Order: sequence, then C-alpha cells, then structure tokens
Amino acid sequence: MLTIPINQPMQRSRGDAWVSLAHGAAGLRLTGLRQQGSAKCILPHGAVGRQGPPEVVFLNTSGGLTGGDVLSYAVTLGPRARAVATTQTAERAYRSSGGPAQVRVTMSIDAQGWLDWLPQETILFDGSHLDRRTTLDLGPGAGCLLLECVVLGRAAMGETVARVGLSDWREIRQSGRPVMVEPLALTDRALQTGAAGLGGARAFASVAMIGQGVADLLNPVRAVLDEPGVTAAASAPESRLMLRMMAGDGWPLRRQIARCLAVLRRGQPLPRVWQM
Amino acid sequence: MSHDLLTLVQWLSPAFPTGGFAYSHGLESAISAGQVTDAAALRQWLTEVLHFGAGRQDAILLVQALGPEADHSALDDLARALQPSSERLSETLEQGTAFARTVAALTGRALPARCLPVAVGEAATPLSLPPAQVAALYLHAFASNLTSVAMRFMPLGQEAGQGVLAALHPVIDALATEATRLTLDDLGSSALGADLSALAHETLDVRIFRT
Repeated sequence: MLTIPINQPMQRSRGDAWVSLAHGAAGLRLTGLRQQGSAKCILPHGAVGRQGPPEVVFLNTSGGLTGGDVLSYAVTLGPRARAVATTQTAERAYRSSGGPAQVRVTMSIDAQGWLDWLPQETILFDGSHLDRRTTLDLGPGAGCLLLECVVLGRAAMGETVARVGLSDWREIRQSGRPVMVEPLALTDRALQTGAAGLGGARAFASVAMIGQGVADLLNPVRAVLDEPGVTAAASAPESRLMLRMMAGDGWPLRRQIARCLAVLRRGQPLPRVWQM
Repeated sequence: MSHDLLTLVQWLSPAFPTGGFAYSHGLESAISAGQVTDAAALRQWLTEVLHFGAGRQDAILLVQALGPEADHSALDDLARALQPSSERLSETLEQGTAFARTVAALTGRALPARCLPVAVGEAATPLSLPPAQVAALYLHAFASNLTSVAMRFMPLGQEAGQGVLAALHPVIDALATEATRLTLDDLGSSALGADLSALAHETLDVRIFRT
C-alpha cells in the first residue's frame, strides 16, 4: 500500500564541502577534499603550487537556500599556508515555508597562515529565513581578511523586502579567544528602522582584517571610501581593521568593496569569479 | 528601600566617576550629520540603539555576568570583540575600568578592568537584586547619559530632553526583562547606522565628545 506522509517537511537540500591545503616538500598541496550533496568546491586547474595563493571557489548547486536547507563550507590551512576562498555566485535566500536555512562556514588557519574569505553577496528575498554562522579560527601569527555583504532583494528588479529573518554570526578567534564578533540580526521590525538602524539602506557590507600591521592600512583605505551612493567608514580597534558600508543598492556597494579590497590586498586582483 | 538598590543607584548615577559624560556612542556625529535634529528624532535614535544595538547587547552581557557560574574573563573577551570601532572599544573599556576601580576602592574587592556591562555585572553579583532590575537601571543610565549628550550638543531644552528619556522607559523595561530570558547565542545587532556613525566619529573635524 502506498502511504503518503503528511505534515512532513519537504525534502530539502544538503551540502557539505571541505578543502584542506598544507605545505609539503614541493610547496602547497591539496591534503583533503570532501564534497557532498549540493556543495561543490572548485580548485582552478593548476592553482596550487603556482605563484600567489590558490583560489578556492565554493558553489551551492541547489541554486539557492530555503527553509530546512543545510549547507556547510570549510577550509583548513596548514602552517604558513595562504589561500583565497570565495563563492561562485551570489548566494540567494528564498522565501521560507518552514524554519531557517542553515549555513555553516568554518575556516581553520594554522600558525602563520592567511586566508582571504571573500564570498560574493548574500541576497535575501522577501520572506527568507537564514541562519548562518561563519567562524574563522586563527593559530598563532595567522591572519585573515573577512568580507560579508548582504543585499535585500534586487532593487533594480523592483523587489521590496518586508519580511525577513537573518541571524548572521561572524566570529574570528585567535588561539581560541574571540577577537572579532559581529552578530548581524535582521527582523521585520529591523527593516523599518531609521537612522540608527538601516535608515532605508538595502545593502550592507562589513570587512574585518586581522593580522600584523593591518592598522597601517587604515589611512590608505579611508582614502578610497568615497564611492557615490555609499556611506562607509573604517576603524582599527586593537589588532584588527574594521570597515562598514551601507548603500541603497548592491551595485555601488560592490564597486566600493572592490576599491577597498584593492587597497587591503595591496593590488592583488579580485578573485576571477567576481565579475565587476 | 533596600540597601543593595541604593548601592546600585549610586554606582550607576552620573556622579559615579566613570567619565560617562565624555562618550556619545556616535550620537555626536549623527547630530553633526543632521540625522538627529529634534526630540522626535532623538527618541527614535535612542530607541533603535537600545532595541537593535548596544542596549540589547549590553543587557545580555550584563545578565550573563550576573550569573553564578559566569566566566567574567571570557565575557570580557567577547564584549571587546563585539566592538565595531576603536572609539566604541574605548567607550566601554575605559568606563568599565574606572567603574571597577571605584567599586574595588569602595568595597575592598578585587575587580579587574573589564568592558562596562561585564564590570557592572561582576560588581553587582553580591547584590540581592533581580537581574532585570540591574539591567533596567544600567540601560536607564546609558539612555540618560546619551540624552544629556544631546541636550548639550543640540537645541533641546531640559523638559524636552527629560520627556525623551521618560518615553524610553517602556523600551528599557521590556528589554531588561527580555534579557533575563536570553543567552549569548541571542546576541544580534542591526544598529548599522549607529555603528557607522561611531566609526565616522573618528574622522570628524571638530569633536566635543570622545566617541
């Protein structure tokens, strides 16, 4: 007899991708790779061992996130290993009918290593519900550059977002102690806030950089914070560099981010998947 | 009235030497930028900072610091890591340091330098007061200080300023009660404008306040 389950949550996508890089006798090499479900991880051919840090590109083949989805990206870097990680496209969080989509980004950077985690923007559609936790664990002397960019709908397509649930916890720890924690949370009420809250902005970005000498970049990066349509400012509390940006739309923000990254990454080009 | 309540009121009063009057939490740059121009705008700004920003965040940290099992050193690490700018870090750390030093001198207890909500929570642990009451008085002191900043820096009379503060009482009361039911996992902010304003304060040409 065929039984049709009722009140059972719709089968949602699962994805888990992890890559591990470490120095061996012949330079940096791939030491671990796991790809399951909708999560893929692309290492451009010949990237490892070539000049410059390799670019790891994560991809969610399900085409977007909705309630009940579980997605996990992870990078492990061995001592002195340097890499850049990004995402193939913007991540889209669609209307959720039941519970949040869960995303876990877990980066582990061993002593003296460095990771640029530069995901493309996250677009939140009306009624979306996303619970994301990004954790970067730094060993002694390790550093990182972390970017997060969130856009509410696509203004150019006339989309407005009135209902949203976002819990987006970003945390950087050094030798186990938190050095940067930014728990961005958006609710329906938060979307209506004035000048101290969102103030009508529909695109926001944060950059955090931890490492030796990052405070020296404060004045150079301040000098490029003048993109029309973007309000941005920088600060360097203790051993970190922090940037905040807000805009009415994603495009000017993307241009501002690109200009900031050019300064912070000392002219190193943006990841190839970033189409500017 | 209980002795413990009077003790807390003293600790959180403007006369207590934490130097709170020098910190505007980004309000000075918001006023300079024309984002806060009258009593209504001030009320909205403060409501949002309380509900979506440092108010709620500090209330959660404070309530956790009051707990019998609290790891104050770990809470202080978290409180520092949560600050988005060097001035905001100074604001909470310098006030917390002065607060802890003064309470230590009054009570003979060893109270190390901590961010303000953790310092207040740690100091208030022996007081027999409900956590919601401690949180409410803390938030009231925070809102009262920012109201005073506004009255000194923008055209806003004493009565209008006190009216704004009085209108914040329901927000403060609700937040303090809510904070007693929350954990560190419930930390979350969307006061992006207030944060940006705090960062922008560092490059203001003319500054009266330290943040």
